[in-house]
Order: sequence, then structure tokens, then C-alpha cells
Amino acid sequence: MKRVLAHVGWAAVALMAAACLAGIALNRGEPINGIWLLLAASCMYVLGFRFYGKFIAARVMALNDQRATPAERLRDGIDFEPTNKWILLGHHFAAIAGPGPLVGPVLAAQFGYLPGTLWIILGAVLGGAVQDFVILFASMRRDGKSLGQMAREEIGRVGGFTALLTVLLIMIILLAVVALVVVNALKGSPWGTFTIVATMPIAVFMGLYLRYWRPGKVRECSVIGFVLVMASIFVGQAVSQSAALAPWFTLSGMALAIAIIVYGFLASALPVWLLLAPRGYLSTFVKLGVLLLLAAGILIVRPQLQLPAFTRFVDGSGPIFAGKIFPFCFITIACGAISGFHSLISSGTTPKMIAKEWHAWPVGYGSMLLESFVAVMAMIAASVMQPGVFFAVNSPAGIVGTTPAAASATITAWGFPVTPAEMQTLARSVGEQSLFYRTGGAPSLALGMAHIFARGGGQALVGFWYHFAIMFEALFILTILDAGTRVGRFMLQDLLGHVWPPLGRTSWMPGVIGFSAAIVAAWGYFLCQGVRDPLGGINSLWPLFGIANQLLAAIALCVATTILIKMHNARYLWITSIPLAWLLLVTFTAAWQKIFSPIPAIGFLAQADKLESALRSGAIAASKAVETRALIFNARLDAALCGVFLVLVATILIDSVRVWAGILRGRRESAVCEAPFVLSQLRAEEL
Amino acid sequence: MTRLREIARLLAGILRELSDESAYQRHLERHGRPHSAGEWRRFSEARLREKYSRPKCC
Repeated sequence: MKRVLAHVGWAAVALMAAACLAGIALNRGEPINGIWLLLAASCMYVLGFRFYGKFIAARVMALNDQRATPAERLRDGIDFEPTNKWILLGHHFAAIAGPGPLVGPVLAAQFGYLPGTLWIILGAVLGGAVQDFVILFASMRRDGKSLGQMAREEIGRVGGFTALLTVLLIMIILLAVVALVVVNALKGSPWGTFTIVATMPIAVFMGLYLRYWRPGKVRECSVIGFVLVMASIFVGQAVSQSAALAPWFTLSGMALAIAIIVYGFLASALPVWLLLAPRGYLSTFVKLGVLLLLAAGILIVRPQLQLPAFTRFVDGSGPIFAGKIFPFCFITIACGAISGFHSLISSGTTPKMIAKEWHAWPVGYGSMLLESFVAVMAMIAASVMQPGVFFAVNSPAGIVGTTPAAASATITAWGFPVTPAEMQTLARSVGEQSLFYRTGGAPSLALGMAHIFARGGGQALVGFWYHFAIMFEALFILTILDAGTRVGRFMLQDLLGHVWPPLGRTSWMPGVIGFSAAIVAAWGYFLCQGVRDPLGGINSLWPLFGIANQLLAAIALCVATTILIKMHNARYLWITSIPLAWLLLVTFTAAWQKIFSPIPAIGFLAQADKLESALRSGAIAASKAVETRALIFNARLDAALCGVFLVLVATILIDSVRVWAGILRGRRESAVCEAPFVLSQLRAEEL
Repeated sequence: MTRLREIARLLAGILRELSDESAYQRHLERHGRPHSAGEWRRFSEARLREKYSRPKCC
């Protein structure tokens, strides 16, 4: 009887998923409620987790709770420690949740809410969660080895070295693009800038508090930090209204970029306890709190989606970034569907903390579904705005026109009515001077979140909620920036340490300063390029980041496929090779188009050629010649970088295919490099 | 009520883990030392060195 009821229950969930998906996919012309997206996503996640995830866990991985995990065998109380599965799930989710699942869906909303939502849900269930789960499993069975180490052992030395180099290049682009999102959110905004500047002395205060006044009281210190940050939002409002103080915090894009570059360098070179660590703790708690708040807000307010299911920009003429729905929707949304960066986390701390093998199922597969849920919430937040307002905020001046009147006319002509007066009223309501040309996704996400929060908690607070959302986004983007710069320095030292060993010493002061400067200079260059770009920078940098991140996922899936072939020959090859084939198709197409498309808005080389012709024919004023030459150089540099990514991934792919063919033809040894079986002595009640 | 208490305990556990307070507790137990400012600094420096040498997710 129980079994029958379970079958009926799962059939009901499947029917509900089908009905919700059909509802959002077939609805045209009328606004639909955001709850339908949440319901469709939730039902699909539950089904994917219960059936697909469990199938992989039981049949493919043959997880066995009798087998001792590295956390039990190598227990040292530091890295290796058996941890309760739900606590570990929270820990792993906090580690994988970054700005990507929030910003990507907002940018992809230019195609309408439907394509992005479907990709987020299906991509996560069939690709992202599978990648995270298989890599976590592989690392857990190999004493917590990293992706690079596994690539070296399972594929070969070329694969291992290429993976390290790819990660370093991706880090540089990632840091530039997230910094650009912050710059675009804060330029000309004294309220936002003051709030973010205030988080720095607050973090230093927290660092001193933790080290000297109340050592070890991290949660207590974070509560104090949170109260101070909230107070700084209120003070920021007063600063923005002060004739004397506002000009100090009203900065141009370039001034903000320089400030962020200096901050990145200092944060990388200063002791970790002083700035990075307290900021990291605060950012983690704020991030989890805001995501819970957003979920509650959407459930309480049940907002209507104002964006259509599809917009006219599916043809590739979008103002936020150029390119057709295929392949660009699938690289714009990376982290909410499948993200290569997750494979670094899944082969980092988490495999060393898993107490029982079956815990890898909720931690690896389940955490990615939660991350995907965050991306669906971001899509809802972006879609609750009037389309005209959405495009006015997200379109660069180079596309829609350099005055509010021109921009409004262009956007209205696209079929999305908006007026300068409407935008002015909206800007005033959130305490900003203007909301035009705020590319990067963060301001429109903040507007959407403020809209949802304010409907639940009073319209008078809409300005506060907007700046609260901006503070939340900037806080954890800057945390990634400072920690990323530091990690980039370590990676560069690791690479160059092979050339001359002293260069690899991470505590050698000239090395600390020199390598920090090198990493900051690398991402700072791309940041300045984005700030100067008349098309807003996001148009060129976000696709580069998306391509790079998805290529890293392709590397992880190559490693995962190699392991599955070694375990089962070709039997379960499809589980990782189908998402791998899709990612290769998407990323290689996107990269090819970004390099060679004859349309200047898409192809870097065509863009450089167009500018060069204009320069030669005298169509560009002499005063703009130096700037134009820089734009030409940057377009060619971006094309070259895109090409390097392709070559690196093609190298790993060819190397992997060579290994796969050898194993499948029986010419190569197929022994898996797992740690030997040891019987587990750990009891569930110990956790 | 028991369920609610379990959820609260779980949330507190996640917060303790994220704030490294659980790891510090384990460190004290493992070395058999009492909490002190110096001990926290020793633990924290090693912990943070390890934590900030790994990439953060996007």
C-alpha cells in the first residue's frame, strides 16, 4: 500500500511539473505569476534529485556507506573531519553560491524569461548537478584530490598543466567582469558608493575585534558588522543628500575602477585576518540571509512577470549583449545551470568532510539544485520590472543613444514603452540621480529585489531596499575580488615556481608585492577596457567569462567521463558525455562567433576591422584616434584570449579522447586510481 | 516542537561551521588546550592561510 501511495505521489509531482512547465512555455500575451516558475523548478528539482541523482548514486557510483570516507580515514580535525550531511550541504552551498547565478539570468532576460528559465532548470538537473556530484564522488574516492591532480592522474600531465593554466586565465576574466558589475552599479551613486566604502573600515574593525578584543567570537562579531553595515545604508542616504559630502562619493566609472584596483592590490597584500577574513564571514552570512529573504519575498508577494516569454532579441540584435539565443543564452547563464568553477569547490574542502558516501548525493547533487533555484529567483526579480525600464537600465549609451530622451525613444521603438519622466521618478524613488545605462545586471536585479521587498514591507522603504540589494551584491562581489586576487597570485607563483623555485614561495615579500601587482594589473586592464568600451563592456567581457567558465566545466566533464569509462567502460558514458557534448557545441560555437563573426557587434575581429576602416577613412575625429586605437587593440586581444581558451580546452579534449579510445579498445589500462577499501567504523549517531 | 528545535540546531550548526567556530572547537579538543587569544590566533592563521589559497566560486 505504501509503495502504491509513493508511486501516486511521484506521479502527482511529475504531473505538476509538466503542467507548470506547459503553463509557462505556452502562455503568450498575458503576464504570468512568478510562482509558476518556482513551482515548475521545484517539481523538476525534486524529480531530478529523487530519480536521476539517485540512479547515478546507486547504479553508476555504487555509493557504499560501509566504505570509510577520507574524512574518517584521514581524520585530522582540520581539513578531514566527518560532518553532518545537512551542515555540509549548507557549507558547500555557501561556497558555490556567488554572483554568477544572480547576474547571468538578469542579463539573459533580454531574450525573455522563458529560454533562460528552461536552461537553468534543465541544465542544472542534467548537467550542472551531475558535474558537481561526479567530481565530488571522484575526489571523495581519491582522498580529496583537486581537479588538477585528478586530471593529471586520470588523463595525463598535459591535462593537469592545461587545467591549471585555464583556471588562472578564467580567474583573471572573472575578476575583471565582476569588478565591472560593481563599477557600473556604483558610478554616479553617492549613496551606494558610501555604503560600500563604509564596509571597508567596518571589516577592519571586525578583524581587530576578532584578533584582539574577542578572539574566536566570529558569529558575535558578524552580527555587530551586519548592524554597522545596515547603519551605513541609512547614513549613505544622508550623505547622498548632503551638498558638501555627496560630491566626494559621486565617482565616474574610471575613478571607481582605479579605486577597486587599488583595493584589490591592498587586500591581496595585507594580512588575511585584517580585511579578507572578516569581510568573507560577513559576506557569507549576508548572502545566505538575503537569499532566504528573497525566497520568502517571492512567496509572499507572488509578483507578476512583466517581461514577455520571448523578446524580439532572440534574433541576436540584443542591446545588453549581441548574439542569437543559441549559443549566447547558454553561456550567459553559467553558474545557475552548469559552472566549471563548482568543480573546483567539489574537489576542494567538501570531499574531505563527507562522513558517509551516500551523503555525497544531497551535498553534491542537491546543492547545485539549490544554486539553480537562486538563479530562477534572480530571473523572477529581473522579470518583475516593466520591459521598457529593464532595457533602459541595462542598455549602454552606445546602443540606445546618449541622452535620456534618445534612449527612451529607441527603447519605445523596440516595442517596450518607457519615458524619461518615468525613469526619473523611478531614480528619485531609490535615491539615484539616473538609472539609464546601468549595465551589468546588478542595478536591475537590485530594482527587482527592492520591488519585491518593498511590496512586502512598505513602498516608503524602496530606496533603502534598493541600496540594501546593491550593498549585498557589491559586498560579496568584492569578497570574490580580493580573495580571487590572492588565489590568482598563488596560482601564478605555483606555475612560475616550476621555472625558478624561489618564485613559488608565497611568503617572500617581493614575490607577494610583485605577483599581487601582476594579477591586479591583468584583471585591472580588462576592467579599464570594459569601463572605456562605448558598448558598456559587459557586451564583450561577460561572453568571454561565460565561454571560459563553461570550458572549465568541459574540462571537469572530460575528467568525469574518463573516470566513468574506467569504472564501467561505455555503459554509463552518456551521463557525462551528453552534457559535455552540449557544452562543447555551445562554447565552441560562441567562441568561434566571438572571434570570426562578420557582424561587428558580435565578432571581435570584425569590430576591430570596422574601427580601423573608420579611422583610416577619417570618419573618427583626430581627438578620438588614440582611444579608437586602444579599442582596436582590445578587440584583437579579446579575440586572441578567446582563441587561447579554445586551444587549451581542445588540448584536454584530444588528450581525453585518446585515453577513452585506448581504454574502450582494450589497448590501455583502465584501472581507477581510487584509495583502497577500508571498512567504516563511523556510526551515524556520532555526527 | 521537536522538529523546530532540530531545525534550529541544524541552522546553528551551519552557522558555526561557516564561522569556523566548529573547526576551532575541534582544534582545541584535538590539542587538548583551553581557549585563549593566542590559541585562536594560531588556529585562525593556519585556517585562513588554507582557506584563502583556494579559488572562490563565481
